[in-house]
Amino acid sequence: MSGTRTLLLEIHCEEIPSRFLAPLAAELTETAQAFIREQLQTELATERFYSPRKLAWRIPGLPVVQADQTDTQTGPPRRLCVDDQGAPTQTGLKFAEKWGVGFDQVRFTQPAGKKEPCAEVTLVRRGRPTLELLAEALPRLISALHVPKAMRWGSSEFQFVRPIRNLLCLLGSEVVPFVLDGVPAGSTTWGHRLYHMDHPAPVAVPSPEAYEETLERAGVVVSCAERRARLERQLHTLAAQAGGRVVADGHLLDTLAEIVEYPTIIAGAFPESFLALPKEVLVTSLAEHQKAFCVEDAQGVLLPAFLTAANRPDDPDGFLRSGNEWVLRARLYDARFFFDEDRKQPLRDRLEKLKHLTFQRELGSYYDKTQRIAALSEAMASSLGLDGTDGRLVAESCKCDLVTLMVGEFPELQGIMGGEYLKREQAHEKVWMAVKEHYQPVSADGPIPATNLGGILAIADKLDTVAGCFAIGQIPTGSKDPLALRRAGQGIVRILFERGWNLNPMAIATLALDGIGGKATRPAPETLEALEGFLRDRVGYQLEQAGYPGPVRRSALAAGWTDLVDLKARCEALSAFADDPRFQSLAQSAKRIGNILKDEAPGAALDAGRLQEPEEQALAGLLARLEAVAEQDLLLHELAELAGPLEAFFNAVMVKCEDPALRAARLALLRRLQGAFLRVADFSLWQ
Amino acid sequence: MHIQELILRLQRFWADRGCLIGQPYDLEKGAGTMNPLTFFGALGPRPWNVAYVEPSRRPADGRYGENPFRLYKHLQMQVILKPSPARVQDLYIESLEAMGVDLRKHDLRFEEDNWEAPTLGAWGVGWQVMLDGMEITQFTYFQQVAGMDCRPVSAEITYGIERICMFLDGIDNLYDLTWGEVKTDDGVFPVSYRTVRQREEFELSAYSFEHADLDLHWQLLAAFEKEGWRLLKDHGHYLSGYEQALKMSHTFNVLDARGAVSTTERPGIIKRIRDLACGCARAYVKNVENVENVENVENVENVEREQAQPGAAKGEGVRA
Repeated sequence: MSGTRTLLLEIHCEEIPSRFLAPLAAELTETAQAFIREQLQTELATERFYSPRKLAWRIPGLPVVQADQTDTQTGPPRRLCVDDQGAPTQTGLKFAEKWGVGFDQVRFTQPAGKKEPCAEVTLVRRGRPTLELLAEALPRLISALHVPKAMRWGSSEFQFVRPIRNLLCLLGSEVVPFVLDGVPAGSTTWGHRLYHMDHPAPVAVPSPEAYEETLERAGVVVSCAERRARLERQLHTLAAQAGGRVVADGHLLDTLAEIVEYPTIIAGAFPESFLALPKEVLVTSLAEHQKAFCVEDAQGVLLPAFLTAANRPDDPDGFLRSGNEWVLRARLYDARFFFDEDRKQPLRDRLEKLKHLTFQRELGSYYDKTQRIAALSEAMASSLGLDGTDGRLVAESCKCDLVTLMVGEFPELQGIMGGEYLKREQAHEKVWMAVKEHYQPVSADGPIPATNLGGILAIADKLDTVAGCFAIGQIPTGSKDPLALRRAGQGIVRILFERGWNLNPMAIATLALDGIGGKATRPAPETLEALEGFLRDRVGYQLEQAGYPGPVRRSALAAGWTDLVDLKARCEALSAFADDPRFQSLAQSAKRIGNILKDEAPGAALDAGRLQEPEEQALAGLLARLEAVAEQDLLLHELAELAGPLEAFFNAVMVKCEDPALRAARLALLRRLQGAFLRVADFSLWQ
Repeated sequence: MHIQELILRLQRFWADRGCLIGQPYDLEKGAGTMNPLTFFGALGPRPWNVAYVEPSRRPADGRYGENPFRLYKHLQMQVILKPSPARVQDLYIESLEAMGVDLRKHDLRFEEDNWEAPTLGAWGVGWQVMLDGMEITQFTYFQQVAGMDCRPVSAEITYGIERICMFLDGIDNLYDLTWGEVKTDDGVFPVSYRTVRQREEFELSAYSFEHADLDLHWQLLAAFEKEGWRLLKDHGHYLSGYEQALKMSHTFNVLDARGAVSTTERPGIIKRIRDLACGCARAYVKNVENVENVENVENVENVEREQAQPGAAKGEGVRA
């Protein structure tokens, strides 16, 4: 036996929830790789496959036999093992017996750290056939997978994501013989249910290499990426045939690829009258209820058409199309019912109802929240010098859609529905726009509010949530952030940052906390301290997202983070020097300055006349120029120019010299330099 | 497909596969799971296959008989298979064929949908079964009922009768469904769902949204609870006690449909119902374990007797 073989494992289950497929396939792969590394001392690439009923991987290049392993065992000293005549003693014989060898195989060598030769045997553990190793390990490895929401079935105690109904496991053309929860591994599997209506027998897979092809013939495309690609192609073709383009939704496409074994897009239509519903309602209703895409024209106006996936290659009698159209009509009928019912009452008349809708037990109702948001947005508008006249109106309107039927049905339409209802009540555009966009950004790369009023409302709403939750001790820790406060915090910072609004995050956080007032359960100074760390981290993350390199972010943040406009300008300027070697040198010098000044009390003003050495006099001259520069870019150029002279200074000058006056002058020079640096960045963090 | 025809076909199908055909339990309830045939049947080790139709009331879904898709009271066909068979999905698919669905022409998918009934302390994992994009069945592997692990696990299959009929016939208004045909000496008279049920939908919707006496319902909720615990604690009667939990559940649903239950009150009331239901379930399990031990002893004795008299085991010469 020699050479290598390809291993194929497929766990065939009842339909696995689509959200678990990719993580489980990934974990299964890691498990396999760990096993191969440990037992076969090699690293092999693993191909993974998954479909609604299958989790599989294929690993080419497994050695047929595990390599032999040698192992040396040391025993008692020679004098105890061999007597004067050179014959083995009882001890010597026992040692040989212990390791299962004859005494003639015992050698005597002097191991490191011992004073005399000792008995030693070399044991060779023959490598075992890989097939055998796999048969032993696989049941254990599969059972040990971390399965989210594991279940039991039948009378067994075995747990997995869904019942396992078949196991296919081949090493080359040989079956790896093992049994898992009563299911024996074999060389066959099951194809698409449709295929088996005409072929009752299981599908034989002749070799690991023939896996995809064999299953494709049985109606299953086992590669998820391939299914996704086919769906995407068909989506574009069919959308064009319908006279438009797909309203893109990558997440929906992922899901569709995960819930079908054979990917086909089918097109359908709905009555045009439903186009009177807001676009968001149609897009959401189709995606949520029917996993269907909308089709829009070049201007972004929806067409009365939809596209969705089917789990079979064709629609022989048109049932798939008519069935999906039927369900969609029922759904849209419901949506229109909600839309009509909701509009029988002006949106803002629901403000009273918000008194009975709890926001947070300690923080009161949504009505209370709207009052806090109103005050906060008015204050923010006035400090930005923006028109705040409609601040109270939008704040009091923005949560009213939470008690509409439509948002009850589609929570993700919160805000959007409020805006759409106000628009139809002939509200001013800036008012309905602000309400509509105040939950933005809803994702890390989603848009931020486009209007001033919307931006202010969005910040006020999120900040009230963050400050309120911090004030009652609901602070995110580690991976625990059940109220998504980090996302809210990120939204606040992103809006400020991208709008270029010069609002001190700590100043508005303090205002928000004042608004929470007596509802707080923790002392305000503690909450503010926690908020400061939290917001500073959000700002740091924003800088990272904006693409600034690590040294730029760290050093710029450390020189002050609450003036976001200034921070952004400093980062921009610093980025130009990210790879400049002079800044590396500057960083070293900045660190030295920091260390030298660490234990020194602030001394007198700089008396440049006392400086003696040419290097320090040169530095003093440069300092004056540096301090005169107002512009960020120029300042950095000056700083870069400073790197050489600073190095020269430290090489030539002993700062803490004997002469107290000279020493004070040198310290004062360094302190002034440090101050000049900190106008831009803390260079000691530039690494 | 007529309503009654679908029910008859499903009952025949499951009876042929070894299910008892049960009857709806004659109290208001929100779902077939609440029928004692399921709630108690899913507990304990005894094999248990049962299928039945359950009229299920959802007061908040009432639409005065006007909405073509929603009902205050709809019909569920409920199947419990304990332990869940290895071929359970295949059996289910065969039941679709028995309904007259030719799966060669349709798209069938099992999409994740987990189930939870907080008033029963029950949850399971499973799917909504989609036929051409329409949810036609809930399919659940019970993991816990009444806060107790299910050993063995039951499979629960719940068919929505009206929806399936509408879908099979491509009808856009459920009141246009045909319930069945009445044959008399004068001819054949098809009877619509409208004739059988629309007035009931109207009155029941009006009752839960307008006419129900809320004070009375709050009093009833408390009274049923008290009665239930009295039956359970003083008499060890878990069946009559459980009936009171069912009554509490429906009373709560009526109050809820009226918006009379605040979000803060809701979890507390659900817990009160669950506590009573779970108390009844624990008493049931304790009782059944005792009974089954006795039954097992009897079975052993029978076997011994049969072995002693080989003729009797084959039934020779035995007459009652």
